[in-house]
Amino acid sequence: MSGRSVAIVGGATTKFGVRPATWSELVQEVGVALDRAVPALRSEAVDSLFVGAAEPERFAFQSHVAPLAAEQLGLKPHHILQRNELACASGQSAIRSAYAAIASGLSEVAVVVGVEKMNLPSMAEANTAMGCVMDRPWDGPAGATAPPFFAMVAQRHMLEFGTTEEQLAAVSEKNHRFANTNPHAQFYEKTFSRDKLLRLPLIAPPLRLGDCSSMTDGAAAVVLTSEEHVREYTDTPAWVRGSGQYSDFHNLAHAGSLTEWNGLRRASKEALDRAGIEVGDLDLAELHDCFTISEIVEYEALGLCPVGEGGRFAAEGRGDLGGDLVVNPRGGLLGCGHPLGATGVAQAVEVYQQFAAAVPPARQVPDPEWALVHNLSGSANVHSVMVYQRGGAA
Amino acid sequence: MSAQTPRRRPTGAVVVAPPPAAETRPPESGTPSPPSKTREWRPFLLDFFPLETPDQTRLHRFYDRLREGRLSTTRCRRDGSLHWPPRTACPTCRTEELEWVDLPEHGHIYAFSAVLAGAPLGLESDVPFAVGLIDLDGTPLRLFGRIEGRPWNELRIGAPVRTEAYDIGDGRMFYRFRTTE
Repeated sequence: MSGRSVAIVGGATTKFGVRPATWSELVQEVGVALDRAVPALRSEAVDSLFVGAAEPERFAFQSHVAPLAAEQLGLKPHHILQRNELACASGQSAIRSAYAAIASGLSEVAVVVGVEKMNLPSMAEANTAMGCVMDRPWDGPAGATAPPFFAMVAQRHMLEFGTTEEQLAAVSEKNHRFANTNPHAQFYEKTFSRDKLLRLPLIAPPLRLGDCSSMTDGAAAVVLTSEEHVREYTDTPAWVRGSGQYSDFHNLAHAGSLTEWNGLRRASKEALDRAGIEVGDLDLAELHDCFTISEIVEYEALGLCPVGEGGRFAAEGRGDLGGDLVVNPRGGLLGCGHPLGATGVAQAVEVYQQFAAAVPPARQVPDPEWALVHNLSGSANVHSVMVYQRGGAA
Repeated sequence: MSAQTPRRRPTGAVVVAPPPAAETRPPESGTPSPPSKTREWRPFLLDFFPLETPDQTRLHRFYDRLREGRLSTTRCRRDGSLHWPPRTACPTCRTEELEWVDLPEHGHIYAFSAVLAGAPLGLESDVPFAVGLIDLDGTPLRLFGRIEGRPWNELRIGAPVRTEAYDIGDGRMFYRFRTTE
C-alpha cells in the first residue's frame, strides 16, 4: 500500500436491536462507549469525522448528519467532516475514507461513526426506505426490496447447484450461535436450532424469517490514526493492509446469473493482493450475511470453495470455529442485526477486538493475524472489502 | 402520438399548463417555460412510481407508449445497443442519438420470488405478490417486474409470460408480466 500506514486503534458499539432511542441518542451512546474503549482519545486530537449513515433522510427525517453527529460526540473536526452513504456498506465506506485521508497525510486522527435508526412505529416506512436502495423508478414500483432479490439468488443457487434449505439454515444457526457470545447482538440469548429455523415463516420464498437479517437500531465507532500516533492509543493495532471495491451494476436487469458474484471476486482479489496475502492466509472473516444465501455465495466468490459448493461448505461447518476459516464470529448481520450504517463499523470493531484477544473465549479465534471484512450493498451490485493485520511493526 | 393522447396528471401532483411538445423544447436547452396562469400547488408526496410527464422526464414517451399498450425502450443509433431501462444517453458511446423500439410481448421466467411480508408504503395491500426476472424472447434483456396471473407457488422457472401495461390508478402507467400458461 502506498502512503503512510494506518491502523484502527480502538472501537465500540452500542447494543443493537429495537432501541427506544433516536438517531442522535444512538450517536451519543456510542460516543460514551468509545470514550471507555479508547481512554487515550482526546476530542482535540480528532481532526476528522466520517459518518456512515445509509438513509437518515428516510428513517430519521434528517439530512446534514455529519455536523449533527459531531455535535452529539462533542467533536469539532477541522480537516475532514463528511457523511458516507453506500447503503448497507455505508460504514465500511466511511472507514475507507478515513483510511485514505490518513494515508494521504490530510488527517492524523479520525473517528468513524456508523449509525442507523430503522425501527419506526410504521415498519412500512422502513420498508419504503429499503426499497429506495434499488433503481427506484424502475425496480421499485414492482416491489423490489432486498428479500425478494436475495430469494431469487437462493432459488437459482438451489436450481443450479442443489443447495438446500437445510444448508441455508446451517449459516443462520452458526451466526445466531455466535451472537449468543455477544451481549450487543440483537439476538443475544435467543437460540435458533436448525429445526426451528426451518419452521419459521416464509418472508420471500425460499427465504424464511431466519434467513434474513433484521431491521435494527444501533451505532458503532472506531478510531483510526497513522503509524506516527498508533502507540499513543494501543499495543494491538489493526493495520489496514488492503482495500478493494467493485461496482458492477445497479438496475436489477443487469444482475446477470445472480449466483456468480464477480464483483466480490474482483474486490477481494484487489484487497488481498494489496495486502500481499492469499485467502488461505486469513484467520477470520466478517462477511456480509444480510441473508443466509449471501454468506454461501460469498464463500464461493472468495475462493474458499468451488462455485456451487458453498451450501456444503456451510453444512460441514467449514466457516465455523475449528473449520477452514472462522466467518462472522461476532454473530454476523443475522445474529447482531443490520443497522445499515453501523454494520461495517461493528465488523471492524470485532476485528480489532479479536486481534486484542478481547472477545469472549467462545468466539475468540486462536492467535489471529489476518482478517478480511466484506460488505455488499443493494442487490449485491457493489462489493467492498478491507484486509487487516494484527499488531507488529508499521 | 403524445399530442393526440389526453394528458392525465398524477393526483396531487403540481399542475402546470401543458408544455410545448418535447420535440420542439429539449429540456436541456434551458429555454424558460411560457408563463402559466393556471399554476396551482397541492400537497405532494413522492412514491415508488415515476413522475411521467414531459415537465419531469425526458423519457415521457416511454409512458405515452405504455398508454398505447406498448412496452418499449431506447436503442442507440450509433452502436445499435439495446438499453434497459430506457435512457437519454448511450452508456457505451455516450451519444444522445437514441431511438424508441418496441419490446417483444413474450418472455420466460428466469427466477422468481414473492413478497409475503415487508412491503413498502403503497404496496402493502398487494401482499402477497410475485416478482421475477424475465428473459424477453429474442432480446438480450432480462427485466425485473411483478408477475400476475397465478399465485407465486404455482409459478415455475421457464414458464411463459407476456408483458402488460396498466394504469396504476392515478393516470400514471406502469408495466408488469402475466403468465400465459
